[in-house]
Amino acid sequence: MSVTMRRRTQIAAVFCLLAAAITALAVPAPAAPADRYLHVDVQDSTKGESVNVNVPLAMAQKILPAINSHGLHDGKVTIRSAEMNGVDVRALLDAVRTAPDNEFVTVKDNDSDVRVAKANGNIIVHVIGKKNKQQKVDVKVPLKIVDALFDTEKNDELDIAAALRALSDAGDILLVTVQDSSQKVRVWVDSRNTQG
Amino acid sequence: MILLGKIVLGMVGTGLVGAGVLCSEGLVHVKVIEKRPHGFHINVIAPAMLAPIAVHLAPSRELAQATRQIQPYVPTIRAALEGLRDSEDVVFVEVKEPGEHVHVSKSGGSIVVDVDDDGETVHVSTPIRAVSSTVEQLAAVSSNSL
Repeated sequence: MSVTMRRRTQIAAVFCLLAAAITALAVPAPAAPADRYLHVDVQDSTKGESVNVNVPLAMAQKILPAINSHGLHDGKVTIRSAEMNGVDVRALLDAVRTAPDNEFVTVKDNDSDVRVAKANGNIIVHVIGKKNKQQKVDVKVPLKIVDALFDTEKNDELDIAAALRALSDAGDILLVTVQDSSQKVRVWVDSRNTQG
Repeated sequence: MILLGKIVLGMVGTGLVGAGVLCSEGLVHVKVIEKRPHGFHINVIAPAMLAPIAVHLAPSRELAQATRQIQPYVPTIRAALEGLRDSEDVVFVEVKEPGEHVHVSKSGGSIVVDVDDDGETVHVSTPIRAVSSTVEQLAAVSSNSL
């Protein structure tokens, strides 16, 4: 091989390497999905107590199917038919899913006001205690999660693992808030590994 | 003189390699400080690899009960440890009460438990890999004894 030929080959090799490097830099590597966390925060201002729990949902999804005890098996929990009180929950859910956004239940009695509604694909429950005006419960659960929970072959099973997966795929969401004069409880999901 | 140097170098090298192997699974750190005059003060840092080795060397008869008890939970423990290994560093639980603080976290491949109350301060740090190896050893002992 002549010197000129060798030089050309070297230049071509350098160009190939440069092209490969530019291509590798230009095409971003697929980003790993961020871990999602279920957070629980309990604050008791009168006693000066607080409890913070942070659970990586991916970890929960791995552990749950491995637990086989107390009615839990393969990520599903078996519920006794008596606990359903004769209510066909699936039919109820189907009715809620197909219904437009609306307020389904409003109960007002001496103890509390209860409101159950569907809004923007979420089931929303508000409870306000009347005896102590500061007692308040807010629950917001995306219908997708409820659907995943009840999407099982057997009627007496709840698919907790599927619900966790759906929760993981849902965006940042505040699921539960409970508040009274001294205590405050919050349950939410986001992609931060701290509560700060 | 050169021969002596080679022998010393060999011994030091062997010692370093041995220490490296022994520490390859990380270190278990246990620290307990009692908060009273003349209270005990324990600070133990030991190679985590000793735990699975101890299980391996212990007479299987002595471990029979422990292995029998752990056997049904081995799949769950395996899944939990795998999940822990894959997760980012995170504070799992933090409890604050007047006079008491409990902190359970994953930090740099270890499970760390810190308890600080009026009576004592406790710090335990265990590498997840070492826990995993120990559980596998116990599971192996159990399956061999069946």
